[in-house]
Amino acid sequence: MICLIALIAFGILGIFSVSYRKLALEAFDCVFRRITLRKCESGLDQRLKSQITGKLMVKSPKLASKIYKNFEVISWIFTILMIASTIYSGYGIYNFLVHGNCNGPDSNALCIFDPLKKEEPETCSVAFQKTAELEAPEIGDSPSLGSLNSKITIIEFGCYTCQYTREAQETVEKVLKEYKGTMRFVYKSFPLPNHESSKNVAIAAECAKLSGKFWLYNSLLFNKDIKTDDKSLISYAKEANINITQFEQCLNSQEAIENVDIEFNQGIASGIYGTPTFFINNISLVGPQSFEEFTKIIKKELRK
Amino acid sequence: MFSLNVEKIREDFSILNKTINNKPIIYMDSACVTLKPKQVVEKINQYYNEFPACAGRSTHKLGKKVTEEVEQSRKTIQKFINAKKQEEIIFTRNTTEGINLIANSLGLEGKKVLGTSKEHNSNLLPWLNGNMKYDIVKDKDNDFNFEEFNEKIKNTKLVAMRHTSNLDGTTIPAKEIIKIAHENQALVLLDAAQSIPHKEVDVKKLDVDFLAFSGHKMLGPSGTGILYGKYDLLENLKTFMLGGETVFDSNYDSFKLEKPPEKFEAGLQNYAGIIGLAEAARYLTKIGKDKIEKHEIKLNNMITEELNKIPEIDILGPNVPESRSGIISFNIKNTDPHNVASMLDASNNIMVRSGAHCVHSWFNANKLKGSARASLYIYNTEEEADIFVKAVKDLVKIVK
Repeated sequence: MICLIALIAFGILGIFSVSYRKLALEAFDCVFRRITLRKCESGLDQRLKSQITGKLMVKSPKLASKIYKNFEVISWIFTILMIASTIYSGYGIYNFLVHGNCNGPDSNALCIFDPLKKEEPETCSVAFQKTAELEAPEIGDSPSLGSLNSKITIIEFGCYTCQYTREAQETVEKVLKEYKGTMRFVYKSFPLPNHESSKNVAIAAECAKLSGKFWLYNSLLFNKDIKTDDKSLISYAKEANINITQFEQCLNSQEAIENVDIEFNQGIASGIYGTPTFFINNISLVGPQSFEEFTKIIKKELRK
Repeated sequence: MFSLNVEKIREDFSILNKTINNKPIIYMDSACVTLKPKQVVEKINQYYNEFPACAGRSTHKLGKKVTEEVEQSRKTIQKFINAKKQEEIIFTRNTTEGINLIANSLGLEGKKVLGTSKEHNSNLLPWLNGNMKYDIVKDKDNDFNFEEFNEKIKNTKLVAMRHTSNLDGTTIPAKEIIKIAHENQALVLLDAAQSIPHKEVDVKKLDVDFLAFSGHKMLGPSGTGILYGKYDLLENLKTFMLGGETVFDSNYDSFKLEKPPEKFEAGLQNYAGIIGLAEAARYLTKIGKDKIEKHEIKLNNMITEELNKIPEIDILGPNVPESRSGIISFNIKNTDPHNVASMLDASNNIMVRSGAHCVHSWFNANKLKGSARASLYIYNTEEEADIFVKAVKDLVKIVK
């Protein structure tokens, strides 16, 4: 049965190299003959057996002997494993196409087909590692969009200077558009301590909030190639029609700094170890996630 | 003083300095094709680099140089087998072509041809394919069966036998066979593909009528071979293949043939190969065939002695290494010979051949699938023989 594995392996290699095509044909002939209950005539199975055991012979004669004598059984085991993994892969592809996640509609596990999803989500990490379970914070005075009575509340902890927070913004905007009227969205600044200007930008956004222009300013910060010097931050404020005198005073005010610190400390208390981190009600999502991933959780929460 | 300086010889074979998977190559398939020393490769390159022209046709300087080199090569081969004159040497592509030339030119239709039970397909199929009466003499206890031969030689036109068998390395007593054949008015063709590279072959002493061998089994290039024939016989042979350089003159309705050997060498020849083949003959002559034979038998003795201790191993042919030249053809009980060869290659880069070795007739008659065959030559060392024995012992432990 090793020929079935050989057929797939050599078939794939044969796409790229002509030298494997003959082997793939031999493997096909061998498989075909076995299916029709005849003996493999190409001798490919025997060649593979002797090549494998020959190589092992030098390193571990005992193992080589065991493999040589039980080659057919081992071949069957590998063939069954291969068939099982092929079926499982097919199921994953089906799930991905239908549900947007290869693990099924209700799973939050890794899906390699998702181009944004990583095993360990990429985030702009803070200087410390994850120490506690993530827990959704109080909304407090943080800027929010949507009704207070919404069934879904999404809280984002983000940092304007973090590339992953910025990368996630497109999806966030898509989610806001798609679920407008059914959810509440809250943004909390989590200026990364290891990013030099992150706190300045967070304070500027806080000042925009105090001027009642947070969402416009927030949108400008995310949609531009951000510059973090005071002059640029003030120019964005001008663009958002914010009173510049008040804005400049606010940038140096204790109130704005304290408000930013409050949100940062909320983040620490919630177990944030990198940005962006989202809480969809009480379900956490770390790193930039796909629209499908948000959709899946939102739908699940809506069904409750 | 009288033994082979193997280490020095190995320096001439660049392939032996190479490794595969960080292990040296142990080449034991010389009965199929031998490795090539640098002297032969350089000689081939010399033709292409210095005088890549036609021989026997063009009168310019390069043409003359090739003609000179080719004729010098013919002379070298003449001396190599001690032929009476160089016109008795015909350049062919290989042993097979030489034998086919005789099969198609000697006028054997309806005549009896006698071989042995261990003929290579090259010395079997041409006789089966022609309209001839073919018969064989079977070995008796691994020895040539003179009793059967004396019976079957009557009314035989041609005795076409292998000199040394590629199957088990046994050599027939050619001189006695030829004497009896001649007494019975039969001609003798020897397939010397496996004897020429390994032992002294003197066509005058043997009094053989025709003798064919290949270059690729005697350190020479592939696609080269020699057919020797006694001149008077060659003169009377019909032509097998005609074309350029085989005729003096031609008209729309007739042609006048050249004399031997030209009348058998149709078309442009493999000049680089011919020159390389002659260089291989010079190389072997310099080493000395007697030393080569002794060296192979010494290694064969070492291997046979150890393999004989393993009950699962069956060596084909006589158990006396002296009778098997440098060939150890063997089977491991209940193990496919192809698996044996493949495992030796995968484990230790030991390159041997497996299968029927183009002697299907013998294996079919003996109800065997084939064998693994180690064939030794001048570049094989005692250390390699030890590694081979150890690998076979390990292999037996794995498969038994």
